Amino acid sequence: MKAFAHLTATELRLLSRDPGALFFMIAFPLMLLVLNSGNDRVEIFLPSYMAMILAIGGISVLPGIVATYRERKVLRRLAVTPVAPVALLAAQFAAQVVMGVAGSAIVVGVGVFGYDVEPPAHPLPLLLAYALCSAMVCAIGFVVAALAPRARTAELFGLLIMFPMIFLGGAAIPREGLPEELRRMGEYLPLTHAVTGLRDGWFGTPAAMPFLVLAGVTVVCTAAAAALFRWE
Amino acid sequence: MTVIEVTELRKAYHGTPAVDGVSFTVEQGETFGVVGHNGAGKTTTVECLIGLRRPDSGTVRVLGMEPARQRRALAQRVGAQLQESELPARLKVAEALRLYAAFYREPDDWRAVLQRWGLGPIRGKSFGDLSGGQKQRLQLALALVGRPELVVLDELTTGLDPVARRETWALIGGLKAAGTTAVLVTHYMEEAEALCDRVAVFARGRIAAVGTPRELAERTGTGSLEQAYLALVESAMREEAR
Repeated sequence: MKAFAHLTATELRLLSRDPGALFFMIAFPLMLLVLNSGNDRVEIFLPSYMAMILAIGGISVLPGIVATYRERKVLRRLAVTPVAPVALLAAQFAAQVVMGVAGSAIVVGVGVFGYDVEPPAHPLPLLLAYALCSAMVCAIGFVVAALAPRARTAELFGLLIMFPMIFLGGAAIPREGLPEELRRMGEYLPLTHAVTGLRDGWFGTPAAMPFLVLAGVTVVCTAAAAALFRWE
Repeated sequence: MTVIEVTELRKAYHGTPAVDGVSFTVEQGETFGVVGHNGAGKTTTVECLIGLRRPDSGTVRVLGMEPARQRRALAQRVGAQLQESELPARLKVAEALRLYAAFYREPDDWRAVLQRWGLGPIRGKSFGDLSGGQKQRLQLALALVGRPELVVLDELTTGLDPVARRETWALIGGLKAAGTTAVLVTHYMEEAEALCDRVAVFARGRIAAVGTPRELAERTGTGSLEQAYLALVESAMREEAR
């Protein structure tokens, strides 16, 4: 447990030294919020950006880091310490969650206190949707890390999956403005259901469907990643 | 006390034998050298010692344990430095040592290790910014921060300039003085000659000869370990050809 705490703190520190992660998980969402603050319904952006921040971290930042650890034999080195290499993967997940919470807290704080957005109507379902979304995006990220042969390809695959998801899933821009065909495409993306779950928790009526989709995708991706992951 | 006991170890990759019947023992406090040409089976043997690979046949006992089955328990007592293994580029020297110290039940004081291995002046430097010599020095410190009874070093000095290599020799000499058992894989015969109590010469997946550097030189009628090594590898290759 002590080793895991140290690993998580280390991963978090490394993440905070990554200018790309810092910009896209903290500054970029804040920038988008400010740009959209003239909108009549600023509240629709907050749950979306929460999902976007998590997706950027889990689907595009995480696979690059994990694949680099494999390529540079960081995982192999850890295998000859008393700590199992899987602890490093768990620490990376925990660090992504903390980083995501930090980015979300900033954007939500500015939204609620700066732009007078009403606080969430259903905090518990919102929290559950948030937790499931974190788990799901990281599970997807681990699948990418498992499938990509090299660190560079992991980064590329991550971006190729993350970008369509945040744009078609309503995380970067609301789906209401998308053309009909693109909107329909979005329904097949797991992140869309995360955005729906988060929105329902903030200002809608929470329903079971998004939770089931998020949990299902998380279970399937975790199993796939566990089966496919190569340690070296 | 015998720290390592390897008997008839065999390991093949895709049908090609990498290690083909290797036996040796290493006693407590010994610095044991493993030398041999590329592909002679040195690294595979070492990886079997630390549980990274499971032997196809034969037995490997390290500190009374079976590495392939008890890797993590063994790792509490064995420090290792692996070929080409790196750390995250943005991780700083002091952070790496503090992190690795947290992995062990009874670690050394990482601050003291930092000073002892001359890492104090670069404690705030990121791993990615270190020179080759500094990286190896850190790897050595990481292998030792858990206060291991046995340390396994795979090509610690490969790629270092002569000055950095000599500095590393001094560090390994310090280990020996502290009574730590060491297995040292190297390509440099002067290194094996200077540091090792006994040396195993690997050729084509087997041990061509084991002995003190002086014994090996005498047995082959040559003047140095380098000459003895060349003679041993050559005769192993000739035998193989026959």
